Amino acid sequence: METTVESSAIQVTDLHVSYRTKGGQTLKAVQGLSFAVQPGEVVGFLGPNGAGKSSTIKALMGFVEPDGGSASIMGLRAGSLAARKRVGYLPEVALYYPYLTPIETLTLFGELQGLRGPELRKEAMHLLELVGLSESYRRQNRTLSKGMLQRVGIAQSLLGSPDVLILDEVTSGLDPIGRRELRNLLKARRDAGCTLFFSSHELAEVEMLCDRLLLIDKGHLIEERKLDDLRDQLREFEVTYTGGPVLSDWSEDIEIGEGGAVRVRFGNQSDLLQAIDRIHQQGGKVIEMIAREGSLEDYFIDTIQRAA
Amino acid sequence: MRFFVLKALTRGVVIDSVRRKDLWVVAILGLLILLSASLLGFFGLDGLQSFVKDLATSVLGIFTTIIAVLVSGRMMPDEIKNRTLYPLLARPISRWELLVGKWLGAVAVTWISFGLLLVTTSLALALFRVPFEPVMLQYILLKMIGLAMLCSVTLLMSLLMTPAGACVMSLILAAGTGMIVRAMTMAFEFASPPVQFLFKVLNGLLPQYGLFDVGDRAANSGWGPAPLWVVGALLGYAAVYSLAMLVLSWARFRRQAI
Repeated sequence: METTVESSAIQVTDLHVSYRTKGGQTLKAVQGLSFAVQPGEVVGFLGPNGAGKSSTIKALMGFVEPDGGSASIMGLRAGSLAARKRVGYLPEVALYYPYLTPIETLTLFGELQGLRGPELRKEAMHLLELVGLSESYRRQNRTLSKGMLQRVGIAQSLLGSPDVLILDEVTSGLDPIGRRELRNLLKARRDAGCTLFFSSHELAEVEMLCDRLLLIDKGHLIEERKLDDLRDQLREFEVTYTGGPVLSDWSEDIEIGEGGAVRVRFGNQSDLLQAIDRIHQQGGKVIEMIAREGSLEDYFIDTIQRAA
Repeated sequence: MRFFVLKALTRGVVIDSVRRKDLWVVAILGLLILLSASLLGFFGLDGLQSFVKDLATSVLGIFTTIIAVLVSGRMMPDEIKNRTLYPLLARPISRWELLVGKWLGAVAVTWISFGLLLVTTSLALALFRVPFEPVMLQYILLKMIGLAMLCSVTLLMSLLMTPAGACVMSLILAAGTGMIVRAMTMAFEFASPPVQFLFKVLNGLLPQYGLFDVGDRAANSGWGPAPLWVVGALLGYAAVYSLAMLVLSWARFRRQAI
């Protein structure tokens, strides 16, 4: 589907970001990256370390000036005050102000967002409750664990009900319970129409949350897939039978085991069903059928290696 | 520039500094001053009013200078080191507002420290029955303005060099500008025209903190306050100089990748 700057929640076009190293060399972090995220979509942004994920996110937030190309959020120039007013952002690692309490931290960021008074206090308390910090809201940040600080970060990113949430390494530091709570929280935001764009190394999280994923490496987009399509592609079907035909014209992935049992793997369900019909027609006996979900991790590694 | 943004940032710096116990150190120093003065009084040295006033204003000047430099010199580097700059700049605030808010925070912390020290110093002076003269008010006002200017200089330094470097450079400027200017004034007459021009430029560029220290006037009985037009001119100078430092800080920071 063709997307325009106006219709996209996030639009990145031919983005280039580079840094000058201390040795005077230029390090190209992002090289001609283009993608779009539609309103209400949940998009995972994946790539190995140093792929350019954080640099792209920094360009979207206006923390770095792109060398070329453009980026916009809700049709507004990325990094502009108007764009930032509509974005909630969670940085990869932040300590927040060590001597402030979670409620003071949220009040500070809320005030900078333009919120104030009892409404701000109410929203801050509500968010702290949502992220499970209602009992620790008066402890100084320096006394909180890494996971609790991440919760403070998540709460601050949700202040002001942003249209777009940009989350860098969202599950960093969270325990399994925290991850599940966060997932539910983000799903609720998605259901409320919020657009979610996040980077993560936790592929299981990506799989459970995303509609689509973008895979980048060395500053280039190397794959853009809808997760449903990818799941179909990765799913694998296997049948083990005896006495029937050797289905070499259906699949190349065939093993013949002890006692003449044949194991055949298929890439999709319809091939499997047709193969079973044929086995039955030719007097074979099906011993076992398996439908196996493919591994996103294998896909991730294979795709990166192929691109390299 | 929006007031609510500046207020939020300033309050953040003040709460952070108070909880870091920076101001506690100041309060303890103040108590030590008070204690020392009490001891002097106890030993019957209360005839040395000028000496005590001189000592008090010097101690006030030194400690508040150190606090101003330490607070404003580490603010921005700490923001970068702790990565708090990210969620901060993710909010709809400009980098100019951020710098001004931080500077106001540093000024507020410095002024609070100055106030605390002033209270204890005044108590110490009261022990010697030193009368509170109008020149003291002028001393307080000008000292506060000079400290605000020092904060702006240190903020700029902290964006150009390491926090330690910024603090050292600022302290050198704070302590050494007077000497440099005096040396240039003495050498001016004997210098060649290009060097004289260089002296003039340097004189204009260096922060003239000495102008804001009327401790001598406050310490020596019989010296009245400076005329109002002088105070006005100094306020104008400090405003222009601080603004220039903030603009330079912004020029450095506005496109800086974080």
